[in-house]
Formats: sequence, C-alpha cells, structure tokens
Amino acid sequence: MVPHEDSSLFPRSAGDAAADDAPLDLAASAALIETQRARVAAATDLDARLLFGVWGAAWLVGFAALYAVALDPPLLGWPAWSAGALFAALLVAAMVVTAVHIASRSKGVRGVSSRAGAMYGWGWGLSFGGVAALGSALARAGASAEVMQLVMTVVPALLVGALYMVGAAMSGSRTQFALGAWIAAVTIVAATVGAPGILAVMSVAGGGGMLVGAVLEQLRRRRMSPRADR
Amino acid sequence: MVHELLDPVIHTQSRLRIMTTLTALRAGDRLTFPRLQGLLDATAGNLSTHLRKLEDAGYIAVTKAHVGRVPITYVEATRAGRRAFEDYTEQLRVLLTPPTGAAGPTEENR
Repeated sequence: MVPHEDSSLFPRSAGDAAADDAPLDLAASAALIETQRARVAAATDLDARLLFGVWGAAWLVGFAALYAVALDPPLLGWPAWSAGALFAALLVAAMVVTAVHIASRSKGVRGVSSRAGAMYGWGWGLSFGGVAALGSALARAGASAEVMQLVMTVVPALLVGALYMVGAAMSGSRTQFALGAWIAAVTIVAATVGAPGILAVMSVAGGGGMLVGAVLEQLRRRRMSPRADR
Repeated sequence: MVHELLDPVIHTQSRLRIMTTLTALRAGDRLTFPRLQGLLDATAGNLSTHLRKLEDAGYIAVTKAHVGRVPITYVEATRAGRRAFEDYTEQLRVLLTPPTGAAGPTEENR
C-alpha cells in the first residue's frame, strides 16, 4: 500500500482537487504522459496533410483549367478569364483554410515559435507582394500574354519551393523539405517546357506532387503511431 | 517504496499532465491560461491550485500581461522544471524496466 505523498495537502473534502490527486501507479503515469503528449501535438502542430492537400488540389485543378483553355483548340469552351478566375478563387480558398488552421493551432501559444512563425509569415507575404508588383509592372511594360504567363507561373512556384525548403530547415521536417525541393525541380522542368505545356506540368507534377506529399505524411504518421489516425 | 524515488511535486495526475503539456512546447514557448485549461479539461480553480504548487517549486513561471485592458496570464515550464520533468520520466523508465536477470519489480521493492 502506497500512501499518497500529498494527502495532508489535499483533504478528501476538497472535492475534485483531491479526486484527481489520487495516487498514480507507474504504468498509469507513463500512459498519462504518452496520451497527453499526443493530445498536445494533435492540438498545436500544423497538419501538413491538410495544408498540402488544399494547396495541391488548388494547383491541380487551377493549372489544369488554365491549360485546358490555353490549348489550340481548347479542351474547354470557357473564356480564358474564367479559368484565371477559378484559379484565383481556389488560391484564395487555400489561403483562407491555411490562415484559419494556423490561427486555431497556434492559439494561446506565445514565445519563440510564435515569433518564428510570424517572421516566416512575413517572408511569404512580402515575397508574394513582390510577385504581384512584378506582374503589374510587366503588364505596364507591355509584356505579351505568353511572357506574363511564364513569369507569373515560374516565379511564384519557385518561391513556394524555396519557402517550403526554408520552413523545413526551421522545423526539421524532411517531408516538407522533399516537397519544396520537388516543387522547385518541377518548376525548372516546367520552365524549359514552355507554354502551354508548363501549365500541364505544374498541374500534374506540382499539384499532384503536393497531394502525394499529403498521402506520404499520412503514412508517416501511421508508422510513427500505429494507434493514431485510424 | 518505489514512489519515493519520484518527484512528489510532479507525481500526481494533475501536475504530471500540466508538466507534460508545458514541456511538450519548445523551450521559450508559453501558453495562455485558457489554452492550457482547454488542453487539460481542468477547471480554472483546480488548475490554479496546481499551478501555484508548481510555481512554488520553481518548475513553472507565471507571467501576466495586458492586451488593451484585458489581462492575460501566461504559463511556461522553467529550465528547472524541464530538468525535473526529464529526471521524472527517466526515473519512471528505470522503474518500469525490469532489472535484467530478475523477474521484474519484486516484493522487496514495495
């Protein structure tokens, strides 16, 4: 019989404070640590499956739509602007999902990681502000539609690859690094293919690659913790 | 009595869960009181009681700040707290590992 160390501090009449201070056995302690660690990780870690999934789907469908209307003759009878609008809407939706997910997972956490996250976020925001400025500058300078499409596909995609790799260096995530390197490599190949094939490459290999990344992340989680995510 | 080897400040259900939660964060990260409460399903009163004991032991630091007029309480594991938790988990691992050549924890341990 093991008397409880704190029994004098927690009279039985103190209600729940006494009840959850009941003596722990060793196996129960170990199980409790494991359960609570898993709970904290599930509540505060970003879910790469969700993020890779929404961005992969947006690229896959959006670039495919651009490709379908860019072909001669077009695969889809849509006006060209509607494919661009669809892609823009998909990207905005992915951004909203990402922002909501990050806000909910990092809620109430302050300190080193929220500072690092804010810096990383500014890195994305300023880079893509620059891409938007480049796009409007090229349009003002009279760039052709083909030049615009090449630049506005290659530059943002390279940035995504680079920022994924940098983010992976911060978090130590091999999956994220591999995905960033894959996107950069796909973009290099796509750039050499040129219009309109670049759009097909970005859709299938870029968007598809991110979806494969989401699946690999699911498999990694299942391997790490056989009982989770069933 | 094996439990004598385990830090009594940590070795209770509530405080073990609090320390597990706070040390699961990166060193230098802190949690707001409501977020910690949510991760533990604890009542505010019960959580405060246990936080005070951990703070008295020097295992956690409680800081208060204001965002506008709203007071916010932050809780984080101190370096001493992280070390104590590591020692606790190490002791636990040793106690749960049967000594080689013997048939697990024996009567003489109790």
